[in-house]
Order: sequence, then C-alpha cells, then structure tokens
Amino acid sequence: MLTLSDLAKYPFLPEAAEEVKRLDFSIESLLQPDYAPILHRAEERIVEALTKSPPEVSYDPRRHNENVEVLSFPAAIILVSAVASDYVKKRFALAEARRAYNLLKVEDEEKIVEIAKRFGWRIRLAGISLGLEKFDFALHFVDYLRNASSFHEKGWKLVNRLVIRGEVYLSKQDVARLLQEEIRRYIESKIDPKMRSILPEEIVERANSIRKGYAENIREEPFNIESLFSSGVESDFLPPCMKELYGALLAGRHLPHIGRFTITAFLLNIGMDPNLIIDLFRKSADFNERMTRYQIEHIAGQRGSGTKYVPPKCDTLQTHGLCPGMDDLCKRVRHPLTYYLRKKKRRAG
Amino acid sequence: MSEPNNISFIREMFSDFYSKNADKIEPPKSIENREFGFSLFKENVMVRHKSFARIEDLRDFIKKNVPSNVYYSSAYYSFPEAKMDEKGWLGSDLFFDIDADHIPTKCNKMHDSWACKSCNFEGRGKAPEKCPNCGGESFDERTWPCEVCLEAARVETIKLIDILLEDFGLSADEIKCSFSGHRGYHVGVESDIVLELDALSRKEIVDYITGTGIDAVFHGLDEIRSGSSKIIVGPSLDDPGWRGRAARGTYDFLLRASASELKSLGIKKNVVMELVEKRDAILESWRRGGPWNTVRGLGIKGWGKIIQRGASLQSANIDTVVTVDIHRLIRLPGTLHGKTGLLKISFPVSRVEEFDPQKEAIAFKAGEVKVYVEEAPELRFGDEIFGPFKSQAVTLPTQVAIFLLCKGAARVVD
Repeated sequence: MLTLSDLAKYPFLPEAAEEVKRLDFSIESLLQPDYAPILHRAEERIVEALTKSPPEVSYDPRRHNENVEVLSFPAAIILVSAVASDYVKKRFALAEARRAYNLLKVEDEEKIVEIAKRFGWRIRLAGISLGLEKFDFALHFVDYLRNASSFHEKGWKLVNRLVIRGEVYLSKQDVARLLQEEIRRYIESKIDPKMRSILPEEIVERANSIRKGYAENIREEPFNIESLFSSGVESDFLPPCMKELYGALLAGRHLPHIGRFTITAFLLNIGMDPNLIIDLFRKSADFNERMTRYQIEHIAGQRGSGTKYVPPKCDTLQTHGLCPGMDDLCKRVRHPLTYYLRKKKRRAG
Repeated sequence: MSEPNNISFIREMFSDFYSKNADKIEPPKSIENREFGFSLFKENVMVRHKSFARIEDLRDFIKKNVPSNVYYSSAYYSFPEAKMDEKGWLGSDLFFDIDADHIPTKCNKMHDSWACKSCNFEGRGKAPEKCPNCGGESFDERTWPCEVCLEAARVETIKLIDILLEDFGLSADEIKCSFSGHRGYHVGVESDIVLELDALSRKEIVDYITGTGIDAVFHGLDEIRSGSSKIIVGPSLDDPGWRGRAARGTYDFLLRASASELKSLGIKKNVVMELVEKRDAILESWRRGGPWNTVRGLGIKGWGKIIQRGASLQSANIDTVVTVDIHRLIRLPGTLHGKTGLLKISFPVSRVEEFDPQKEAIAFKAGEVKVYVEEAPELRFGDEIFGPFKSQAVTLPTQVAIFLLCKGAARVVD
C-alpha cells in the first residue's frame, strides 16, 4: 500500500496522478490564490533543478507539506513544458530523478519492489548471499538492460553482474540507481513543449519569467552540426565508437569521464577547433564552460605538462565499454585515429 | 561462379531442388511482418524489401525465380516493403552467428587461400591487411568448410547455448539452431521477451557472451585485511553465472598453462615458476576455498589477469556485428546457400552435439556429375571422403560437384 507520504516522496507514480484527479486539480485552478503555495513550490522545484549542482530537487518532510508536494509535481511538469527548452527539460527530469534516488536508497525493500512494478519491472526480493556479497533483489535482464545499457561504468556492464536464469541480482543501491534512470526517462516523456500553445497566458508568463530570471543557468546555444565540420572534419569518416560518443554529446546524454576524454582527444587530433568542441559539450546537463575549456586545453597540450594526448586504442575502448561493435574496417585497425585516416585516404585516393 | 555455363547448370539444379522440396522452406514467425531479400543468379543483384503474406506465396516465388540466396529480416516491420526508414520497426529476434571465419583454427592456413584483386598475388590462410606485392587492400578469399573448422564452430555454439539457457533463462524451445549452409551455425531467439531490446542492450548481451570487459573484482575477487595479514578471496567452481564460469575457466587455464603463456600475461618470473611447479597443489586447492592464497607474490592484480584469461576460455566466439544489428537479413532455413549448394537446415537445441552438417545439409542426394576441378582440398560429404583435387576431370556425386561449382573451383564437363 502506498500512503500519502509515499506519494509526496514519489509524485510521479500513477497513484499520485489519481490523487491529483481526486482533488479536482486542474491547470486553471493553479491560478487561484488558494493554490499559490503549489505554484510557488512548482517553481521552486524547477529553480532547484537549474541552480543546484549536481542538479537535485530537495525533499524535507518537516518543511514540505505532503499535499503540496504531490500537487506541485504535475504543476512543475506543466511549467517546464511551457518553458519549452530542451536543456531545462533534461535538467529538471534529472533533478527529480536524483531526488527519488536519494529517497529510494533508504526505502523499505518491499516498497521499492512496489514502486518498480509501477514501471512494469519484473522484480522480486531475492535475499541471497554469495561470497561476501548480499543481493537483495532479482530483476529481469531486459528491465536491467533498458536502464543500465547507457551507463558506462565497468561495474554496470552485464558481464560484470551476477545473472542467473534470466535475472540480474542486485543490491538496494543498484536498484535505486536503475530506478533513477527509469524515472528520469519517464519524466522527460511527460514534458511536452507543444503544450505551451494551449496553456493559459498567466502560466506561459510564469514560465517566461523563469527563463529570463535564470538565463545564466540555461545553457542552450543553438548550433548546427554542419558548422562543426567546417574545419575539415568529416563525419562520414568517424569510426563507430566516435560516432556513438559524438551522437551522445549532441543528444546531451551523460558521458563518463573516459568517454569525454576519448571524444575530445579524438576530435582534437583530427584537427577540430577547440572552441567547436566546447560548443559540443554545451548540451550536457552539467556543462561548465570554464572547466570544459580548461580540460580541452589540457588534452590539447596547451596546459600542464604540454603533452598532447591521443585517444585510447581500440582494446582499451573495448575494456571501458566504449566500443559499440566493429565494422569491417575496424577489424583491420587497432586505433580509432588509424580508422579515420584510412577512410580519409581512401576517399582522397 | 565465373563461367556462364556453370551458373546456368547450378541454377537448373537449384530449380529442380526447389520444385521438389519447397515444403522444406521454413516460414519464420509472423511471416507477414518480415522483409525478404534474394540474390539472383542472372544479374548477380540483390532484390530487397519484398514481403509475403503466406508461406505458400514465398515458396511459389522461390520456385518461380530460383534465387541463389534467400534471406529474411530478423526484424518485424509494420510495412516490410517500405523504404528502410519508413518500415516501422516493431522489434527483432535475438540472433547469433557463429562462423569459422571468426574462429582461429590451425587448419585455415592449410585450406584457405586469397588472391589480391588488383595484382592477382596469391597466398594461403586469412587474407592480409595489405597485399605484400602491390599494397592493395581488396582480396578474393576462398574458404573451405572442414571438419576441424566446423567442429570449432560447434564448440562455440554449445557454449553460447549454455549461456542462453543457464544465464538468460531461455527455454530450449525458444532457441532455434541451424547450420548456416557454409562454415558455421546460426542461433536465433524468437521470443517476445527479447523483441524490443535496442541495439545498446543487444551490445551488452554480446559482451556478456563474449566475456568482453569482464573484471574479476566484480565476480568475487577481493582482498580482505585482518590485522596485519591479507587474504584473497575469489569465485568458486560451482558459483552461478560468470562467477562460476570465470572460476572454471581459470581452473582449465591453470591446468594447462605453459610458463610462456603465464609470462605473456605480465606475471613475474618467480611467480610463473611457482605456478608451474605447484600446479597439482593449486588444482587441489579448488576443493577448499580456491587457489587465491597458495602462490607467494601473486596478488589481486595478478589473479585478475589470470581469471580474465580463464574467462576467455569460457566465452563464446560469436560475430558481434550480427547480433547488434536490429535490421539484419538472415539466410532462410530450408533454402540453399549460393556459395556451397548446401542446405541451411534447422535442428533442435538438444541435437547440437550430434548434428552432422556434412551429412544432414546435403540437398542433392541422387546422380553424378562430371566436372573439371582446378584445385580443392580433401572434403567429406556424408560418410565419404573426396579429393584433394588438382587440375583433373572427375565424376562426383551431384552434391560434391555442385559444391565445387558453387565455390568456383570446378567447371562442368560435357
């Protein structure tokens, strides 16, 4: 059974939506003076997402009223939709998902199972030990992969997990992290910028004022892909691993450190302008221009020891799970730069 | 398949086969949602984006057009005949290809050959990266299915099936096995469970099966300090999943590992000596907690390397590209392979150990044909051995003759 306090903690659950319906809450009601605390908390959720680093919406049961928590979540979804910014959408979804993660980490096992089942997960309590490790949960491998396949850390690779008869055995912390990913995607899918055109004018104005008030925090630069390759870099020549990393950057997906290093070193080595590479990183939810510039200049050998770095070779990339599978040319080379140069030469010759 | 004479002869034989054996052509699940592709003898072109509502329509098409190869998509589409990006992908079977081409065997140096496309320079074994004569990068490769290669592919197939059953929890009737018609095996999973897996998830499954990126520290290898002493713990032989596999692979590796093999892992000389000298004691130690503390100077890092090497013995060598591709075209079971004239034939998982491709994939069972053979290694068909041949005319059973004709190693003699 999920209580009101559960719904306050996890306002994205279907039961929370039912509660919202039961309270006869609508977009129009947001504008009534009685609902001011809800609209205020909704704005606060978004501001927290934009200003906190790492992004995270707060939750303090002593400070936050449960009903306000439940109702302010859909209100925030409406506001974020009205802001109509891809960056704000991603950042907000991440911040809400991280809030859920921190609450889930310390949640009852049974409750975690109940919440996971709301997302269609085939999960059960396992409670087995092997060697020194304890595994509290068993999750169907398809549900595991749907969420973990985009994580790049070695420990998340399926091959480094205990898999028995179709189930992956996990700790509570692991399940909380995987649920964070499921919740993040779910929230992103609920935010629809097209909604903006049908929302009451007052709501759109509130959204615009968030946009203006936090313009500094909203890093969204319109840029086009073609311009990136104006410095003589040809996307057709990229090996599959770099295409993947490059695509992840363009989509603003999270990349682990090794992935960022690899794509940066690669692009620098094939002659891309460092400023263009910085632009590529702008879409990341945790973009910090000063830090990114520093790191890129470091890899380019313009700082520190002066060493110009090259990207790791193929088998290192495989070990780190950055090789998406080889094409015919990959099988003949050992380094992604060789791949690029070969293709380039082939085209020229 | 160079000479027009040969091609029309092969086509005639294929036509005859399909007219009598169309019922052998197996319909894939939900045939109406699959894309079909065919390569044709005449134009040597690929016809794609075909679809058939019923298996009878497909069989009629094959009988009428006599393609050299028949393929179907592992994917299900709303509109299989539409252009690629308009087909409406609904899901895809989980598919594995095990081909001797990807498995290093000692014999491929003996029977495989290549010729540079630009200067005709020839060599044996697998084609090099660059032609040593002219630097060309494109080759005509001729590979032969031999007992050793096919057996190597079977071993990999058995390992794959074990992982699918034990680790992924699939049931034997969800797994479809077949001989590819050339040098390997196909294993397909037509289950709703795997249908919607995206390419990224399939890549993770590939890495699981090939043991790529495995690290023993995630499989029980650990160092525990108590007071001033350290003890190492590790996986056990009967542990489930990769944990047990890694332990069993390590056992096998240490059973046979030579000093030079151990040295190549970057293990120090004195440790290598001890590993080799204490071999019996180490193998014995698996009964009691494992060998982790039996070798002086061998820490968690060194064991990690040994376990990784051991794990590689337990992984299955599959073609990684095929499984990740969610739009792949696959040879249809019950049809002939254009490069061999052999049948792609399905068999139940339970028969994988006894299945004899060189007997059961024979499509042409009657008659003899006289051919002139340029060059071919010794080959087995059924219970008989043929060849080796070099520049000679010989009368052979139809299947053997067709095989050599398809391979381009022989020509028809009137």
